[in-house]
Amino acid sequence: MNTNSTHETGSVKDYFGNLFNGIKTTVVGMWITFRYVWGVKPVSIEYPEVREVLPERARMRLFNDVQNCISCTQCAMACPVDCIYIASEKRPEGEEIKKTSNGQAIRLKLTQFTIDIGLCCYCGLCTTVCPTECLTHSHDYEFSQYTIDGMKYDYLAPDVIAWRERIVKV
Amino acid sequence: MQSRWDIGEPIKPTINEDTEQLKSELLTLNMGPQHPATHGVLRIEIWTDSEVVAHVIPHLGYLHRCMEKHSEQMDFRGVIPYVDRLDYLASMNMEWGYAITVEKMLGTEVPRRAELLRIMTGELQRIASHLMAFGTYALDLGAFTPFLYAFDYREKILRFFEEVSGARLLYNYMWIGGLWNDWTDDQLDRVKVFCDEMELEAKKYHQLVSMNKIFVQRTANVGIMSLQDCFDFGATGPILRGAGYKWDLRKNKPYSLYNEFDFDVPVGTGEQGVVGDCWNRYIVRMKEVTESIKIIRQVFDKLEPGPVMGKVSKVIKLPKGEVYVRTEAPRGEIGFHLFSEQDGKTPYRMKVKSPCFTHVSMLPRVAPGQMIADFVATIGSIDIVLGEVDR
Amino acid sequence: MHNVDLNQLASLINKNIPGANAVVNVAPDAKLDSSINIEASHITKTAQWLRSNTELPFNALQAITGIDWMESMEVCYIFANFDVNASRELILKVRLTDRVDPKVDSIMKVYPAADWQEREVYDMFGIKFNNHKDLRRILCPDDWQGWPLRKDYVAAKYYNGIEIYPEAKMNFEDRDFIVRQAMIKKAQETKAQ
Repeated sequence: MNTNSTHETGSVKDYFGNLFNGIKTTVVGMWITFRYVWGVKPVSIEYPEVREVLPERARMRLFNDVQNCISCTQCAMACPVDCIYIASEKRPEGEEIKKTSNGQAIRLKLTQFTIDIGLCCYCGLCTTVCPTECLTHSHDYEFSQYTIDGMKYDYLAPDVIAWRERIVKV
Repeated sequence: MQSRWDIGEPIKPTINEDTEQLKSELLTLNMGPQHPATHGVLRIEIWTDSEVVAHVIPHLGYLHRCMEKHSEQMDFRGVIPYVDRLDYLASMNMEWGYAITVEKMLGTEVPRRAELLRIMTGELQRIASHLMAFGTYALDLGAFTPFLYAFDYREKILRFFEEVSGARLLYNYMWIGGLWNDWTDDQLDRVKVFCDEMELEAKKYHQLVSMNKIFVQRTANVGIMSLQDCFDFGATGPILRGAGYKWDLRKNKPYSLYNEFDFDVPVGTGEQGVVGDCWNRYIVRMKEVTESIKIIRQVFDKLEPGPVMGKVSKVIKLPKGEVYVRTEAPRGEIGFHLFSEQDGKTPYRMKVKSPCFTHVSMLPRVAPGQMIADFVATIGSIDIVLGEVDR
Repeated sequence: MHNVDLNQLASLINKNIPGANAVVNVAPDAKLDSSINIEASHITKTAQWLRSNTELPFNALQAITGIDWMESMEVCYIFANFDVNASRELILKVRLTDRVDPKVDSIMKVYPAADWQEREVYDMFGIKFNNHKDLRRILCPDDWQGWPLRKDYVAAKYYNGIEIYPEAKMNFEDRDFIVRQAMIKKAQETKAQ
């Protein structure tokens, strides 16, 4: 049905024509490849030693600065994969109401802020709705874990809070 | 009307009369789901008579995520990350189609700068997608070098997108009503430089591959999808244009601001082989790269400073009704059929008409009678993305 | 809608296919799309006429969709004409009142594109297409239970002994919140009545 028939006409002229055409196009291609010997910089980088600088807007691992979080749950509502878990409670009376860095009062006390990074699709919708800009995408991209439970990040844990100095630029 | 539907029965195996006592039957060969030629997780059951394909049954669904069901539970902004993952090699065009659908239903005006930048990003994405198609097609046919060259330049485009949107493949960049971020002048200047480089590079690819004797022998007259087949199966995009039919939604039914732009619609001319074969589909893609560069250059002339986001309320509520919008993605026409209830916050039903789905359904029509190696060339020339086929 | 005078087309359908009972479904707003409703039993004849007529031909089938309106099912055909001078689109709808075992004739003989599209509708909605050559599930596995895109579908927890819907992975608090909002709204509506 679909056979290559055009080049099998059989005449001597076509035979040598095909042969010449084949050699010519191959040589042209080889010459283009050969030119890469000179003056072409390597395009790949040797990854663990050399790292590319990520652009400013790069969306990598999420980080929540719990000191500024007002537990408004807007990020959990915006999340298309429902990977943000927030719990909060009323402050006991008499406790001092702190303020966030942009001046909003923190009325509720945050008791849980967990993100299942294994489910996160890095779409960035949660960071755009955040009113105090405490939920941000950091530039960390190497965070493999041995177990899937290790991907659930509790942002109230002290070791996660300790990332703050590195990520949040004041 | 007489139907041309006759792919059902496989070709009978040929029996040599001298060895009639030897039993001869069709051999079933499974190509995929993990096979480099199927470009993803597509399983194709091939019934072969020696090395000739007698019958082909594609089995889909290995990447099925039921995205249409998911989107019924999302608000309209939350659907965009799911839409991204349809055709993950051309996410910008997918987002764009979806954004136009919702904007049409909302009646939102998109600012002029946003429309122009959408055209620019869409065309850059088209180049990236066609470079991928070019590279992997050459790889399918045994040439490794073009793959590396194409990926080098695709990487530059992805780098632009990473700078402007923050992600390399799944951008979530075209929002309902406009764009998330604006391009800076510095970035636009670099796109200008890239256009010049890309034009030279496209010429180089032509010299390297298009007329190469080995490549022409592998693709010309192989996997012919005639114009009648294309209309029967509703094929669009480079498949339809490769069959010699000048049809491009950007030209014939302009959406966005495409009616202000001057560009050609390349069609397969049968320079090598016949119209509708693998070579003509390939050359249409390569010529479209040049046309896209032409469009991007015109964007720079028209671009003026201004806002990139229109006025959209915080909670999007759509009126009761339906809208069907189709746009031209690199692989063909992507259509979104959106149903909403009164003050609907989520789509009541969203059907995605995906181009590759129809193109894969053409395989049982073209495959019988081919060699297996030619069948690999045919699959590659369709340029499938399974995320879009399975949804 | 889309360069077609639907009233003219509906009257043409009624004239050429007696009993098709084509009714134009006018959209309330100009920005929305209108459609044509016809009787389910006449879909094959109508498709044949749409493809072969000379006045307003449609040479390609774009998509077939099902919609579950809870009290009835709807099958929605989108036809298009790929012609540089006369590009048009048409949304043709067929209403199926039997929701338990919906059936409609196949148009695969007219438009071969309908083959896979109808299989997809069968897979997702359980709508059976009479005279279809090869009506199997296409996206879901062959032994899948239920019709996923129906509105009353309950997500399966197990498939062949594999846990596919693990509760530990679900954020039920969010989902409960959304459900609660819907319940409050409903209660308010009943109160107002």
